[in-house]
Amino acid sequence: MLHTRVVDITKEKIELIRAEKFITSNKCGASIYFVGTVRDSNNSKKVISMTYDSHDTLVIKSFEEIYQSSIKKFNFDNSVVFIEHIKGKIKLGEISILIAVACKHRDQAYELSRFFIEEIKKKTPVWKKEHYKDGDSEWLEGNPIQKD
Amino acid sequence: MKLELYGASRDFCKENFINFNLEEKSTIKKLRVAIIKFIEVNFKDNEGYKKIVNSSAFCSGKDVIVSDNYKISNNEKIGIIPPIGGG
Repeated sequence: MLHTRVVDITKEKIELIRAEKFITSNKCGASIYFVGTVRDSNNSKKVISMTYDSHDTLVIKSFEEIYQSSIKKFNFDNSVVFIEHIKGKIKLGEISILIAVACKHRDQAYELSRFFIEEIKKKTPVWKKEHYKDGDSEWLEGNPIQKD
Repeated sequence: MKLELYGASRDFCKENFINFNLEEKSTIKKLRVAIIKFIEVNFKDNEGYKKIVNSSAFCSGKDVIVSDNYKISNNEKIGIIPPIGGG
């Protein structure tokens, strides 16, 4: 079971409670929440906020493709996956991405959670622009998008 | 055709897109050349911007990542997908 969404920060925030409601299942004995947040420094620069840009349709498509790949790769019974990624400008400490997974066993949950964040880094068209304390801002370099 | 801008390529224009007049059935390869020319003219040959274009993928009007040989239809919206880095 999969939930995916790009969350527009001008309308709402990413909230753990939504993920908890979605992944809670009596069939699963282990849940992992991966929460990405904005940190206060990068390359010796003081970061005060971050803007996330995304190609929304491709983002959702990539999440669905990664989910299908995970089924082929792991074939875990009854696993549940919740993914939300932010879009827009967020402050320090705010959530940029939430990946919540529930599986029958803990080793499966850890494996699946790690698989999703690593694949998203390679295949999901999202871009970050850092805003610094000195008033400057800069798009982060990133890596060319990978296709299956 | 209309080039939709994402990520670092948004710095190429104040709008979220740039219009290009390309010949019918031009390829992504030709579009890439046209964008480089646009940068040479408008940004004094900015090497950083040219690097972004050369390392970008492109997305068709049907939201599919396409190769450099893909032929662009009349009035098709093509998205430029610079190197990614979300999460």
